[in-house]
Amino acid sequence: MKGRFLAVVVVCAALAGCASMQANKAPDADLGKLRNLYVAKLSADERGIEELISNRLNAMGYHVTTGAYPTFPMEVDAVVTYQDRWLWDITMYMTRLSIQIRDGHNGEIIANGESMRTSWQRRSPERVVEEVLTEILKQ
Amino acid sequence: MTATHKSVGSVSLVVLGGKPTSSMGMSQISNDDFALALKGSIEKSGIFSRVASEPDSHYRLQAYIGKLDQPVFAMASTVTMEVGYTLTDLRSKETMWKKSIASTYTAELKEAYIGVTRLRLANEGAARENVRLVLEEISALSLP
Repeated sequence: MKGRFLAVVVVCAALAGCASMQANKAPDADLGKLRNLYVAKLSADERGIEELISNRLNAMGYHVTTGAYPTFPMEVDAVVTYQDRWLWDITMYMTRLSIQIRDGHNGEIIANGESMRTSWQRRSPERVVEEVLTEILKQ
Repeated sequence: MTATHKSVGSVSLVVLGGKPTSSMGMSQISNDDFALALKGSIEKSGIFSRVASEPDSHYRLQAYIGKLDQPVFAMASTVTMEVGYTLTDLRSKETMWKKSIASTYTAELKEAYIGVTRLRLANEGAARENVRLVLEEISALSLP
Protein backbone atom coordinates (compact mmCIF):
# COMPACT_ATOMS: atom_id res chain seq x y z
CA MET A 1 0.00 0.00 0.00
CA LYS A 2 2.79 2.36 1.03
CA GLY A 3 4.74 1.41 -2.12
CA ARG A 4 1.72 2.09 -4.35
CA PHE A 5 1.18 5.51 -2.76
CA LEU A 6 4.86 6.34 -3.30
CA ALA A 7 4.59 5.31 -6.94
CA VAL A 8 1.58 7.61 -7.44
CA VAL A 9 3.48 10.50 -5.82
CA VAL A 10 6.52 9.89 -8.05
CA VAL A 11 4.38 9.76 -11.23
CA CYS A 12 2.49 12.93 -10.24
CA ALA A 13 5.77 14.73 -9.50
CA ALA A 14 7.21 13.64 -12.85
CA LEU A 15 4.14 14.86 -14.73
CA ALA A 16 4.05 18.15 -12.84
CA GLY A 17 7.61 18.79 -13.96
CA CYS A 18 6.63 18.42 -17.59
CA ALA A 19 4.51 21.55 -17.90
CA SER A 20 5.90 25.02 -17.77
CA MET A 21 4.42 28.49 -17.78
CA GLN A 22 6.59 31.56 -17.91
CA ALA A 23 6.01 35.25 -18.49
CA ASN A 24 8.15 38.34 -18.22
CA LYS A 25 8.16 41.97 -19.26
CA ALA A 26 10.70 44.57 -20.31
CA PRO A 27 11.83 46.67 -17.32
CA ASP A 28 10.29 49.92 -18.60
CA ALA A 29 6.98 48.37 -19.75
CA ASP A 30 3.78 49.51 -18.05
CA LEU A 31 1.16 46.90 -18.91
CA GLY A 32 -1.38 48.58 -16.65
CA LYS A 33 -1.78 51.41 -19.19
CA LEU A 34 -2.92 49.14 -22.00
CA ARG A 35 -6.53 49.57 -23.17
CA ASN A 36 -6.70 49.20 -26.95
CA LEU A 37 -5.12 46.07 -28.35
CA TYR A 38 -4.72 44.63 -31.84
CA VAL A 39 -4.31 40.88 -32.25
CA ALA A 40 -2.23 40.08 -35.33
CA LYS A 41 -3.34 36.86 -36.95
CA LEU A 42 -0.52 34.47 -37.70
CA SER A 43 -0.76 33.81 -41.43
CA ALA A 44 -0.27 30.05 -40.92
CA ASP A 45 -2.94 29.84 -38.21
CA GLU A 46 -5.85 27.72 -39.42
CA ARG A 47 -7.17 27.00 -35.93
CA GLY A 48 -8.43 30.48 -35.12
CA ILE A 49 -6.08 31.07 -32.19
CA GLU A 50 -6.26 34.83 -32.82
CA GLU A 51 -9.99 34.63 -32.14
CA LEU A 52 -9.42 32.81 -28.85
CA ILE A 53 -6.88 35.46 -27.82
CA SER A 54 -9.19 38.24 -28.89
CA ASN A 55 -12.16 36.74 -27.02
CA ARG A 56 -10.12 36.28 -23.87
CA LEU A 57 -8.76 39.83 -23.98
CA ASN A 58 -12.29 41.14 -24.48
CA ALA A 59 -13.40 39.18 -21.43
CA MET A 60 -10.51 40.74 -19.50
CA GLY A 61 -11.88 44.19 -20.32
CA TYR A 62 -9.66 45.29 -23.22
CA HIS A 63 -10.90 46.83 -26.44
CA VAL A 64 -9.65 44.46 -29.13
CA THR A 65 -9.41 44.50 -32.90
CA THR A 66 -7.85 41.80 -35.08
CA GLY A 67 -6.25 41.55 -38.49
CA ALA A 68 -3.12 40.66 -40.40
CA TYR A 69 0.36 41.45 -39.12
CA PRO A 70 0.41 45.26 -39.18
CA THR A 71 2.79 47.94 -40.31
CA PHE A 72 3.94 50.08 -37.41
CA PRO A 73 3.13 52.62 -36.04
CA MET A 74 -0.40 51.50 -35.13
CA GLU A 75 -3.16 53.54 -33.52
CA VAL A 76 -3.37 51.11 -30.60
CA ASP A 77 -1.58 50.73 -27.28
CA ALA A 78 -0.21 47.31 -28.11
CA VAL A 79 -0.15 44.60 -30.74
CA VAL A 80 -0.45 40.96 -29.68
CA THR A 81 1.43 38.32 -31.68
CA TYR A 82 1.65 34.59 -31.03
CA GLN A 83 3.07 31.25 -32.16
CA ASP A 84 1.24 27.98 -31.50
CA ARG A 85 2.82 24.54 -31.79
CA TRP A 86 0.89 21.29 -31.95
CA LEU A 87 1.73 17.61 -31.62
CA TRP A 88 -0.20 14.45 -32.27
CA ASP A 89 -0.89 11.85 -29.59
CA ILE A 90 -4.15 10.03 -30.38
CA THR A 91 -5.47 13.50 -31.20
CA MET A 92 -3.76 16.81 -31.89
CA TYR A 93 -3.02 18.97 -28.86
CA MET A 94 -1.40 22.34 -28.31
CA THR A 95 2.02 21.64 -26.87
CA ARG A 96 3.25 25.22 -26.82
CA LEU A 97 1.79 28.70 -27.05
CA SER A 98 3.95 31.82 -27.02
CA ILE A 99 2.38 35.25 -26.90
CA GLN A 100 4.15 38.58 -27.28
CA ILE A 101 2.79 42.01 -26.39
CA ARG A 102 4.35 44.62 -28.67
CA ASP A 103 4.47 48.38 -28.39
CA GLY A 104 1.79 49.73 -30.73
CA HIS A 105 4.07 52.52 -31.87
CA ASN A 106 7.22 50.67 -32.89
CA GLY A 107 6.46 46.95 -32.61
CA GLU A 108 9.07 46.25 -29.94
CA ILE A 109 8.22 43.40 -27.59
CA ILE A 110 7.35 44.74 -24.14
CA ALA A 111 6.15 41.49 -22.56
CA ASN A 112 5.81 37.83 -23.41
CA GLY A 113 4.57 34.56 -22.02
CA GLU A 114 4.80 30.92 -22.93
CA SER A 115 3.05 27.71 -21.92
CA MET A 116 4.48 24.28 -22.66
CA ARG A 117 2.55 21.08 -22.04
CA THR A 118 3.01 17.40 -22.72
CA SER A 119 0.24 15.18 -23.99
CA TRP A 120 -0.45 14.04 -20.41
CA GLN A 121 -1.04 17.61 -19.35
CA ARG A 122 -2.93 18.79 -22.37
CA ARG A 123 -5.54 21.48 -21.98
CA SER A 124 -7.98 23.01 -24.42
CA PRO A 125 -6.55 25.89 -26.50
CA GLU A 126 -9.01 28.22 -24.70
CA ARG A 127 -7.53 27.27 -21.32
CA VAL A 128 -3.96 27.64 -22.57
CA VAL A 129 -4.71 31.08 -24.06
CA GLU A 130 -6.32 32.09 -20.76
CA GLU A 131 -3.39 30.95 -18.63
CA VAL A 132 -0.77 32.64 -20.82
CA LEU A 133 -2.62 35.97 -21.06
CA THR A 134 -3.37 35.98 -17.34
CA GLU A 135 0.27 35.31 -16.52
CA ILE A 136 1.52 38.08 -18.84
CA LEU A 137 -0.99 40.76 -17.90
CA LYS A 138 -0.85 40.29 -14.15
CA GLN A 139 2.74 41.63 -14.17
CA MET B 1 33.30 41.55 -36.85
CA THR B 2 35.60 44.58 -37.09
CA ALA B 3 34.18 47.72 -35.54
CA THR B 4 33.94 50.71 -37.84
CA HIS B 5 33.84 53.02 -34.83
CA LYS B 6 35.24 52.34 -31.37
CA SER B 7 34.12 54.09 -28.20
CA VAL B 8 36.58 55.00 -25.47
CA GLY B 9 33.85 54.26 -22.91
CA SER B 10 33.24 50.99 -21.09
CA VAL B 11 29.93 49.13 -21.11
CA SER B 12 28.00 47.01 -18.65
CA LEU B 13 25.55 44.35 -19.77
CA VAL B 14 22.08 43.52 -18.49
CA VAL B 15 20.21 40.63 -20.07
CA LEU B 16 16.57 39.85 -19.27
CA GLY B 17 13.85 37.56 -20.57
CA GLY B 18 16.04 34.50 -21.16
CA LYS B 19 15.14 31.07 -19.88
CA PRO B 20 17.23 28.17 -18.69
CA THR B 21 16.72 24.88 -20.55
CA SER B 22 13.27 23.64 -19.56
CA SER B 23 12.25 20.59 -17.58
CA MET B 24 10.89 19.24 -20.88
CA GLY B 25 14.46 19.18 -22.12
CA MET B 26 13.97 21.83 -24.80
CA SER B 27 17.13 23.85 -25.29
CA GLN B 28 16.72 27.53 -24.41
CA ILE B 29 18.91 30.62 -24.11
CA SER B 30 19.55 31.79 -20.57
CA ASN B 31 20.35 35.36 -19.53
CA ASP B 32 23.82 34.33 -18.40
CA ASP B 33 24.64 32.53 -21.64
CA PHE B 34 23.48 35.42 -23.81
CA ALA B 35 25.37 37.92 -21.64
CA LEU B 36 28.49 35.79 -22.05
CA ALA B 37 28.05 35.74 -25.84
CA LEU B 38 27.57 39.52 -25.90
CA LYS B 39 30.59 40.08 -23.66
CA GLY B 40 32.84 37.88 -25.76
CA SER B 41 31.82 39.55 -29.02
CA ILE B 42 32.11 43.08 -27.62
CA GLU B 43 35.59 42.36 -26.31
CA LYS B 44 36.63 40.79 -29.58
CA SER B 45 35.25 43.66 -31.68
CA GLY B 46 36.66 46.46 -29.54
CA ILE B 47 33.49 48.56 -29.94
CA PHE B 48 33.82 49.59 -26.29
CA SER B 49 37.04 49.96 -24.34
CA ARG B 50 36.00 47.08 -22.05
CA VAL B 51 33.03 45.31 -20.50
CA ALA B 52 32.74 46.49 -16.90
CA SER B 53 30.31 46.34 -14.01
CA GLU B 54 28.11 49.20 -12.88
CA PRO B 55 28.67 51.83 -11.55
CA ASP B 56 32.13 51.86 -13.16
CA SER B 57 30.85 51.64 -16.72
CA HIS B 58 30.12 54.57 -19.02
CA TYR B 59 27.30 52.85 -20.90
CA ARG B 60 24.76 50.15 -20.13
CA LEU B 61 23.57 47.80 -22.87
CA GLN B 62 20.31 46.18 -21.85
CA ALA B 63 19.03 43.23 -23.87
CA TYR B 64 15.48 41.95 -23.40
CA ILE B 65 14.94 38.57 -25.06
CA GLY B 66 11.31 38.95 -26.07
CA LYS B 67 10.93 35.99 -28.40
CA LEU B 68 12.60 32.68 -29.06
CA ASP B 69 10.46 30.81 -31.57
CA GLN B 70 11.52 27.18 -31.89
CA PRO B 71 10.09 24.19 -33.72
CA VAL B 72 8.72 21.30 -31.68
CA PHE B 73 10.09 18.77 -34.12
CA ALA B 74 11.64 19.42 -37.50
CA MET B 75 14.20 17.91 -39.83
CA ALA B 76 15.62 21.40 -40.26
CA SER B 77 15.33 23.39 -37.04
CA THR B 78 14.70 27.07 -37.61
CA VAL B 79 14.88 29.33 -34.58
CA THR B 80 13.82 32.97 -34.65
CA MET B 81 15.01 35.26 -31.91
CA GLU B 82 13.95 38.82 -31.18
CA VAL B 83 15.82 40.98 -28.72
CA GLY B 84 15.01 44.55 -27.64
CA TYR B 85 18.22 46.49 -26.98
CA THR B 86 18.59 49.76 -25.07
CA LEU B 87 21.91 51.56 -24.82
CA THR B 88 22.02 54.12 -22.00
CA ASP B 89 24.68 56.67 -21.12
CA LEU B 90 24.94 56.11 -17.37
CA ARG B 91 26.40 59.54 -16.68
CA SER B 92 23.69 61.58 -18.39
CA LYS B 93 21.03 58.82 -17.94
CA GLU B 94 20.15 59.42 -21.58
CA THR B 95 18.96 56.62 -23.85
CA MET B 96 21.48 56.73 -26.68
CA TRP B 97 19.89 54.07 -28.85
CA LYS B 98 16.98 51.63 -28.73
CA LYS B 99 16.07 48.96 -31.24
CA SER B 100 14.52 45.54 -31.55
CA ILE B 101 16.62 43.11 -33.58
CA ALA B 102 15.34 39.83 -35.03
CA SER B 103 17.58 37.01 -36.20
CA THR B 104 16.98 33.55 -37.62
CA TYR B 105 19.12 30.46 -37.98
CA THR B 106 18.33 27.09 -39.51
CA ALA B 107 20.26 24.04 -38.37
CA GLU B 108 20.05 21.38 -41.08
CA LEU B 109 19.80 17.64 -40.51
CA LYS B 110 23.37 17.20 -41.74
CA GLU B 111 24.62 19.46 -38.91
CA ALA B 112 23.22 17.14 -36.24
CA TYR B 113 21.13 13.99 -36.53
CA ILE B 114 19.87 14.28 -32.96
CA GLY B 115 16.96 16.72 -32.70
CA VAL B 116 17.96 18.18 -29.33
CA THR B 117 21.45 18.94 -30.62
CA ARG B 118 20.02 20.44 -33.81
CA LEU B 119 17.80 22.74 -31.76
CA ARG B 120 20.73 23.80 -29.60
CA LEU B 121 22.74 24.60 -32.74
CA ALA B 122 19.83 26.62 -34.11
CA ASN B 123 19.56 28.54 -30.81
CA GLU B 124 23.25 29.27 -30.85
CA GLY B 125 23.14 30.34 -34.49
CA ALA B 126 20.21 32.72 -33.92
CA ALA B 127 21.93 34.20 -30.85
CA ARG B 128 25.24 34.58 -32.68
CA GLU B 129 23.52 36.35 -35.58
CA ASN B 130 21.62 38.64 -33.18
CA VAL B 131 24.85 39.63 -31.44
CA ARG B 132 26.51 40.27 -34.80
CA LEU B 133 23.64 42.52 -35.89
CA VAL B 134 23.52 44.54 -32.66
CA LEU B 135 27.27 45.16 -32.71
CA GLU B 136 27.01 46.26 -36.33
CA GLU B 137 24.31 48.78 -35.35
CA ILE B 138 26.16 50.07 -32.29
CA SER B 139 29.35 50.35 -34.26
CA ALA B 140 27.63 52.77 -36.65
CA LEU B 141 26.54 55.08 -33.80
CA SER B 142 29.91 56.83 -33.45
CA LEU B 143 29.71 56.93 -29.66
CA PRO B 144 32.26 59.07 -27.82
